[in-house]
Amino acid sequence: MGYKVNRPEFTLAENAYFVEMAKGIGVATKHLVENLASRKHTVTREYPEQQPEYAARYRGQHRLMLRDDGRARCVACMLCSTACPAKCITIQAGDYGDDQVEKYPIKFEIDLLVCVYCGMCEEACPCDAIRMDSGVHAAPELHRAASRVGKVDLLRLGELSIAQQGGTFR
Amino acid sequence: MGSTLHLVGFALLKITLILLVFVMGVATVLTWLERKYSAFMQDRIGPNRANIGKLRLGGLLHMIADPIKMIFKEDFTPSEASPWLYRLAPFLAVVPPMVIFAVIPFGPGDAFVISNAGIGMLFILALSSLGVYGAVIGAWASNNKYSLLGGLRTSAQMISYEVTIGLNLVGVFMIYESISLQGIIVEQGDVLFGFLPAWGIVLQPVAFILFLFASVAESKRAPFDAPEGDSEIVAGYHLEYSSMKFALFALGEFIEVVGIACIGACVFLGGWQIPWVQHTGGILLTAAEVGIFIAKVFFLIWLQMAIRWTAPRFRYDQVMRLGWKYMLPISLANILLTGVVLYLVKGA
Amino acid sequence: MSLIKVKIDGTEVEVPPGTTILKAAEQAGVEIPTFCYHDALTRPANCRMCLVNTNKAPKLLPACYSTVMDGMEVTTTDPKTEKTRKSTLEFILLHHPVDCPICDQAGECTLQNHYFDHSASKSRSFTRKNHKPKAVEIGPRVTFDAERCIVCTRCVRFCDEVSKSGELQVVQRGERSEISTFPGRSLDNAYSLNTVDLCPVGALTSTDFRFKMRVWFLNSANSVCSGCARGCNIIVDHGENRVQRYRPRYNADVNQFWMCDAGRETYQEFQQQRLDSGRVSGFEVPTKDALSAAAAAIDAFVKERSVDALAFVLSPLSTNEDTWGVLALAEALGVTRFYVGGRAAGQADELLVLADKNPNRKGLETLLAARGLTAEPLSALTTGIASGAVGGVVWVGHEHPRNAPLEAALQKLALRVVLTSNASVWSTGASVIVATRTFEESDGTWTNAAGKTQRLFRALEPLREIPPTWDAAARIGRALSAALPLWLSARSVFDELVRAAPTLATTWDGPSGRKQGRPDVPNPGFRAQAFPRRG
Repeated sequence: MGYKVNRPEFTLAENAYFVEMAKGIGVATKHLVENLASRKHTVTREYPEQQPEYAARYRGQHRLMLRDDGRARCVACMLCSTACPAKCITIQAGDYGDDQVEKYPIKFEIDLLVCVYCGMCEEACPCDAIRMDSGVHAAPELHRAASRVGKVDLLRLGELSIAQQGGTFR
Repeated sequence: MGSTLHLVGFALLKITLILLVFVMGVATVLTWLERKYSAFMQDRIGPNRANIGKLRLGGLLHMIADPIKMIFKEDFTPSEASPWLYRLAPFLAVVPPMVIFAVIPFGPGDAFVISNAGIGMLFILALSSLGVYGAVIGAWASNNKYSLLGGLRTSAQMISYEVTIGLNLVGVFMIYESISLQGIIVEQGDVLFGFLPAWGIVLQPVAFILFLFASVAESKRAPFDAPEGDSEIVAGYHLEYSSMKFALFALGEFIEVVGIACIGACVFLGGWQIPWVQHTGGILLTAAEVGIFIAKVFFLIWLQMAIRWTAPRFRYDQVMRLGWKYMLPISLANILLTGVVLYLVKGA
Repeated sequence: MSLIKVKIDGTEVEVPPGTTILKAAEQAGVEIPTFCYHDALTRPANCRMCLVNTNKAPKLLPACYSTVMDGMEVTTTDPKTEKTRKSTLEFILLHHPVDCPICDQAGECTLQNHYFDHSASKSRSFTRKNHKPKAVEIGPRVTFDAERCIVCTRCVRFCDEVSKSGELQVVQRGERSEISTFPGRSLDNAYSLNTVDLCPVGALTSTDFRFKMRVWFLNSANSVCSGCARGCNIIVDHGENRVQRYRPRYNADVNQFWMCDAGRETYQEFQQQRLDSGRVSGFEVPTKDALSAAAAAIDAFVKERSVDALAFVLSPLSTNEDTWGVLALAEALGVTRFYVGGRAAGQADELLVLADKNPNRKGLETLLAARGLTAEPLSALTTGIASGAVGGVVWVGHEHPRNAPLEAALQKLALRVVLTSNASVWSTGASVIVATRTFEESDGTWTNAAGKTQRLFRALEPLREIPPTWDAAARIGRALSAALPLWLSARSVFDELVRAAPTLATTWDGPSGRKQGRPDVPNPGFRAQAFPRRG
């Protein structure tokens, strides 16, 4: 079934184009004058000087949270890399040798060029170890390798988590 | 011999002042002004990043930064391009609009015009017809199908609108009975009915509007920028051009803007004539007259920019329909009407 | 004996008297969850997970232990049973640490699967969980986590009944129950890693596999262990194109549910000094160049000396297809001298391990006999070289024991072409080395000591364009203009060799076991019949 498009009816003056053109120039010139006088209508953010304010839920660059003793909360369970739709997280598990934590990531790499910033990793994390609330957006880099951020960089953004490891009764 | 040398030196001085200082200066400033102006019209802020230290000058330095950038870009020639024509085309695009200024009188008498030729308007029409070669040769020599399609559109559009430009000027020639620009300007010094300056815009208002729009179409600027089209033919005829060759095409466009403004000012806005002021000579008055001419030129430049940044672009079929089915018949009717009125007013 | 009729979830089955409800339910296609039950072990019925409702008893009966009665109607999905399962899981989880992120068993954990299938409710506990020793080295190859243990005692029963070493016991009572070794003992029997497979939770984990990889990243393929002539059926678990571990695969005729610890470690042998390209005079070359160089070297040697001076060294670790290909090349050249190397003999035990450590000696001998050829042991090659009878060898494999006189003698040879997957002393100094695939990278068959031919399915992607040995041999032969059949796949080699040696016949297209990611079956091998995972 066809769909009827309601086209506006134009008067002769409108069809003649020049009158409407003059009106348009008038509107544009009004904006020009007002913008020149006080930047009345411009909404441009002059980026490096005017930093945007990110919302509280903004998903920026990842960070790894810390335990009370300063070690990474991450136990290298690989749930983030399993959940990751872009497969940008590479983790290599290691053994602390103590009986409290046992497992930790020897290597924790996120390729920010591959990451799609979907937040699945922080959803998947059972330990509140990976978060995307650093408020830092991934910076452009000159070399691809520089966008593969490692454990040290991710921990540098990290802080203590208020979540208790293993729940309330432990 | 001395006087010949004197004449040659004076002519060279005029060429330098008009072409290098006025035309190139204005065209260069336009590259910045147009972007800044369009930005403020459209609630943006335009280029403002180029800087020397803390000095930014509202982005004015962009007009220096851009050529520097252009010069250092790779001057790329497609391997399958026709090498000599490919290199020739940018010059064909920029030289004819520059040569037009040879017959533009910037002030009264012979002093402010490089060549006060009696066939000034014919010279201009001939040169503007040459302008199409730059685009077409560049398009063909690039050996790129998008360029070629862009070139076809360009040639069709420019030829179509040249007809309208020419026919609109015919009405002016009939009234002022001259095809010399200086002659037309002098005739516009009259006053009609005791208060109305006898300018082309007053006597030929329809021709002025048609001339303005046809000229915008001739310079391939929006809303008549059908030769370019990112979604269909990318950048059109200059798609393969980079570096300063591309810059020459852009520069040619701005020179055309200035040229159209000059012709429009001469033919329709009374040239250097100040309304209700008789031309009696004297340095002060002459300077004022040169000043008012330049002011008129800038007014027309502004008008072209305002049109460009106000109107949405036409589809290509609309461009051609407007040219052939509306502008051309109206121009012809205008000539007929002009002839009838002239016959009634002046008699056979 | 007459069969008795029972109805399980509405499905009527006929079973012999004495059948357990669990087995009858299997026959009816009904899965009853279990923890402590295992087909090959005695039934303590201590986990209470298999309790089902019947019309013959007022209380629920443990399905693994109770035998069916005539006219019995069993329901496994009624609210009473489901509530009981839920309660059982709640008890089991009361002191379970739920450290699944750390636990290696996560992903193939019976407790996880049962929890999600039958409970999936939040903990109501408000007491602190018991703490017990974690990451205890209970044996040289096994790590023990007492907290995670649900005391199903499968491991204890395994050590008592199968390995008959009896190291393990349950100490303490109630919630303090712990698995422990007897004082002064450690879990060090030759089959200790089977307890890791048996453990339904992550209490016993393999020290070798510990933290190497999450199990859902593992891909699998069915294969056969290369450790000895028994030919235990295994599943090759691999990830990132490396073998990560072997697991036993149920085969009633060969290895039941088990395999030995030594067999599980054999995967490392094929990862050491792996060749990823051929070598000509020590320089790495692409495979096709190595093959043409090998052909040219053999050609030159045969023209200079004679075919009689050329010997072939065969490996009893090669698949039947590889051996057949090499023999075809040798026959096409007219070679008559064959030597058989292979791993040195070791100790045998009563359960699975055999003294002959080569998985395919039987197949090699059958194929030699089928072609009417005879072979001498590799030690005879030393005298062969010393007497000047052998001037050049084509050498297959790397798994031959060190032998100083032979190593010295090899240096005198004019021609040494080695077809091998891994570098070894036998390939150092060779004129041409052609890199070939390991058995994990090839399709093929092995014939075990009992004469049973078993299929190996390719698990890993071959490195670069490395050919299987039969293909390498055939391509060398073709480069020498020898009349070798144009085999397109291991299947075509197999078909040909079965025509020559019909005793080696087996089903080629068996279940490959190839799968990616999370295993379909939570603990393959615990039951003879596997149920597909729900959800």
